[in-house]
Amino acid sequence: MPYLGGEETVKELRRALSNPHVQGDPLRHRSTVLRVIRVMSQGVDVAGLFSEMVKACATTDVVQKKLVYVFLCSYASLNPELSLLVINTLRKDCQDPNPMVRSLALRNMTNLRLPSLVEYVQQPLTAGLRDRAACVRRVAVLGWAKLHSLQPHADIDAAVVNELYSMLRDNDPVVMVNCLRALEEILKEEGGVAVNKAIAHHLLNRLKECDVWGQCEVLGVLQRYRPHSEEELFDILSLLDPCLLSPSVPVMAATLGLFLSLCCRGLPAVSLAALRRAQGPLLAACGSASPEMKFTALCHVQLLLRSLPGLMGEHYKRFFCGYAEPAYIKQRKMQVLVELVNDDNVGFVLDELKGYCTDVSPDTAQAAISAIGRIGRSYSDQCLEILTGLLGLKQEHITSVVVQTMRDLVWVCPQCSESVCEALEGCEDTLQDSQGRQALLWLLGVHGDRVSSAPYVLEAFVEQVRSEMAAGVKTELLTATMRVFLCRPAETQDTLGRLLHYCIEEEADMNVRDQALLYYRLLHCGIEETRSVLQGRRSDPSLGVLIGRPAEPVSQWARSFNTLEPLRQCNAGAESAPQAAPYHLALDPEPSLDLSDPLNPSQDRQETGEMAALHRGVAWDQHRAHEHQDGPAADVPGPSRPVKVDHLLVPVADQ
Amino acid sequence: MNGQLKKCHIAITSFIDSCSSHNLDSLPIVAVEMIHSLFLINHAGDIFLEKHWKSVIGRSVCDYFFEAKENAAEPEDVPPVLQTPHHYLISIYRDRLFFLSVIQTEAPPLFVIELLHRVVETFQDYFGECSETVIKDNVVTVYELLEEMLDNGFPLATESNILKEMIRPPTILRTMVNTLTGTSNFEERLPSGQLSTIPWRRSGVKYTNNEAYFDVIEEIDAIVDKSGTTLCAEIQGVIEACVKLTGMPDLTLSFMNPRLLDDVSFHPCVRFKRWEAERVLSFIPPDGNFTLMSYHVNAQNLVAIPVYVKQNISFFESGSGGRLDLTAGPKQTMGKTVEGLVITVHMPKAVLGASLTATQGSYTYDPATKVLVWDIGRLNPQKLPNLRGSLSLQAGAPKPEDNPSINIALKIQQLAISGLKVNRLDMYGEKYKPFKGVKYVTKAGKFQVRT
Repeated sequence: MPYLGGEETVKELRRALSNPHVQGDPLRHRSTVLRVIRVMSQGVDVAGLFSEMVKACATTDVVQKKLVYVFLCSYASLNPELSLLVINTLRKDCQDPNPMVRSLALRNMTNLRLPSLVEYVQQPLTAGLRDRAACVRRVAVLGWAKLHSLQPHADIDAAVVNELYSMLRDNDPVVMVNCLRALEEILKEEGGVAVNKAIAHHLLNRLKECDVWGQCEVLGVLQRYRPHSEEELFDILSLLDPCLLSPSVPVMAATLGLFLSLCCRGLPAVSLAALRRAQGPLLAACGSASPEMKFTALCHVQLLLRSLPGLMGEHYKRFFCGYAEPAYIKQRKMQVLVELVNDDNVGFVLDELKGYCTDVSPDTAQAAISAIGRIGRSYSDQCLEILTGLLGLKQEHITSVVVQTMRDLVWVCPQCSESVCEALEGCEDTLQDSQGRQALLWLLGVHGDRVSSAPYVLEAFVEQVRSEMAAGVKTELLTATMRVFLCRPAETQDTLGRLLHYCIEEEADMNVRDQALLYYRLLHCGIEETRSVLQGRRSDPSLGVLIGRPAEPVSQWARSFNTLEPLRQCNAGAESAPQAAPYHLALDPEPSLDLSDPLNPSQDRQETGEMAALHRGVAWDQHRAHEHQDGPAADVPGPSRPVKVDHLLVPVADQ
Repeated sequence: MNGQLKKCHIAITSFIDSCSSHNLDSLPIVAVEMIHSLFLINHAGDIFLEKHWKSVIGRSVCDYFFEAKENAAEPEDVPPVLQTPHHYLISIYRDRLFFLSVIQTEAPPLFVIELLHRVVETFQDYFGECSETVIKDNVVTVYELLEEMLDNGFPLATESNILKEMIRPPTILRTMVNTLTGTSNFEERLPSGQLSTIPWRRSGVKYTNNEAYFDVIEEIDAIVDKSGTTLCAEIQGVIEACVKLTGMPDLTLSFMNPRLLDDVSFHPCVRFKRWEAERVLSFIPPDGNFTLMSYHVNAQNLVAIPVYVKQNISFFESGSGGRLDLTAGPKQTMGKTVEGLVITVHMPKAVLGASLTATQGSYTYDPATKVLVWDIGRLNPQKLPNLRGSLSLQAGAPKPEDNPSINIALKIQQLAISGLKVNRLDMYGEKYKPFKGVKYVTKAGKFQVRT
């Protein structure tokens, strides 16, 4: 920030600082230094005062020292030569009888962060480790870590490391925790502190003395410890048991994390018991006043539910959204609600979700509709009723999401297709965005025989194909028209002809054109071949049912507990997919195998243009099946779709 | 739990083998770094303060945050955790300010968020509020506080009592004295608290008037649906204490009905063992103001709903306007008067204006934010306040689909709505007789009525 009169101010301050009268009067001297700091915080460059400030450092006034240190630490890197002067003063301060001064000097000495000064700092730091005042030792211990980060490649002094290890037995709990922190940083390459039995037991015994931050730190380090006997393990667990109910959420989470890492492999039953025990505090954190805390707690509740589905079923009301809650919390809450649905509460949950569907924020509304769709896998009738009702609102963004949700629902619940087909009539007018229209086209194509108006809707689409921008819609339109042609040739033949003509003759997008060419040639091969390519599966119920999904073993996710991992998929749907979903079952390569012969008699697999288009046409089902392993299709961001299809091509073509 | 443990103990015998076989493959890597840097950002998106505990990280790292802020509809909608190629950004939004921390490696998120909140609370404690102006005015103190609270990115001294011994909070009087005499806020004495056996209380406290006050403050969070049934309700309570007692007093506070409380959480000074065994709070208090405990009451039948709102908001099919009719009345107030009643309605986008008449209080409608605020004040049970009239809609706009929701703010003095009552307060360890006082207040937290 340019500051008018900055140079003037600096000059004036310099004059004041070097004025012997000011220097003689401690109060005036201090206030001048304070003015320098104020000016510095306003963004004026006061680096020119460096030498004056170094002189001002040689004082008995602690307050003035503090102020000068603030200045020196900010400008030291600009004046490495002059900072040598500071070091002398600081080293002298390290021998001051006042422990406060000693710790201040030591802390600031390490905060200068100048590699050239390292040799001068080592000696006072070593002395600081043996200081009789705890506050000096606290600073000295961390000082070694800072020193190490200045020269990350320098050899580690074994004597220092040993000293730090022995200081884990220090009387002061903060010194102990700081030792852990310093060792973790210094020994990063070797995987942190080596936790043996003696250290682990010592840390556990001192746990109570530490403050909450220290407790978290210790519990984190202990995750690396493996008890030697079952006896020992249970002793540790009993000792830690009260911490599971700790009033501090971070401590509770760290304890649970330790429980999981100790037990998840050998003793799944104990980890489940620990999870049940921790659900109370976790639920309380979900109602915390801080939205950030709430969000993190919700993400961890989701983790818990992966192993204990339906655990908090009776607490579902706690996950109802408030009007003023941030969107990211609402979306997480809905994801949790979906997991908690059971026979008793499904009505209430659906009523609640229905209310969110008309939310002012389109994102929230979309999340609510997708949530209803997911519940629909288990309770299809009730959900379809709500979804159909939403179509009646004729709201653009709602209709689009509803159609996409219906598409996903039909794929896993074939019994719904009847009512979905009925609901679809007339909604094409409200659809504007490409995602929604693609979903509609897919539904029309696959269930063209049941939607009476299907050929005419397609015809309307074909008439506007020239003004269509999205290539995805065009390819979907091609496939859908082909499929409807197969079941209702008389009504569709003319439309299909016009569409193929347009796509082959006028279309600029290569993919669309290739696909049109492919279909054109396919039709030449005969109706049976065409049918075998285009009429794949209409649904895959094996991916459905949400309720009664098998519980995952805790070890699947134990390592990501209390890390940033569960929070990361902020916007992507974090539905925990069943890991055991049969990959090859959904990916049925047969149709494409049949086809490679008539189309590519030369067996030239390198000629990929048409092949790609071919697969894109038929791979859609497989692609969708694939998607369902990762989560509901609506949650996958648009641009990743074609990439995924190409991805799929590899295994198919290689067979 | 202990029973559970024993059962498993017998059931699983092969544990040690499986444990040792897994010993080497995947030991968790523990985070070695905590908060690297802190940026303070106002709601307009300007960084006005930065503090680096390790090396300096350029402001450009915040660009990811600003991008997320652009995408969010409201400032509070910005996701609290963002991932950038080299860092994680964890932010909290409080008092219209973002506190954005930069972290280089994996870290426990709850820990970082809690620590950030602690920083904000310390600022509030020191300066009375936490706003951009206040932070800028006290920038030297702020830097000094941040320097003391964290060292190398790790929390160092976060107890306000200890901090206050090292850095004096500014007061208006002292600020004036400082400018006149040129002294500053730093304490010259050695902080004895850091060396005392009880970390939250300094030794040698002296008062001429010995007093201990406790405020029981309860907030009702509730969602009431159209028909007046309570969908969910819970009470969030805190007990704020102001203890000014000489020496090392040992206090015991007991309740008439401690079984009411769920999910209690205490100040570290409270002896948890005694709470578990006898349901009393036994503690050596910190000096000055602190939060003794916070708690939830969840059981729905225990949560009394103090007021009801009869509402009828409808829009004409033609789309030209609508009608609004609100009546508020007391429900379960335990014989106390409801004060400070304010009803806030978030109207649909299409509502342009409102011409209403209120039998009590005054109303305002802000056409920009679409918020109708009806400030009623004290609720008179004999003459229920009513607000009615017509709403005008944007010409040509369709009939709004989304229903407005109603938020209620209120206050009831001398009542803890959960029924919690302090029984007695005893002091041990000191000879004098302290002055004791307990106050109760009930407020509406997130109290919402749907239409």
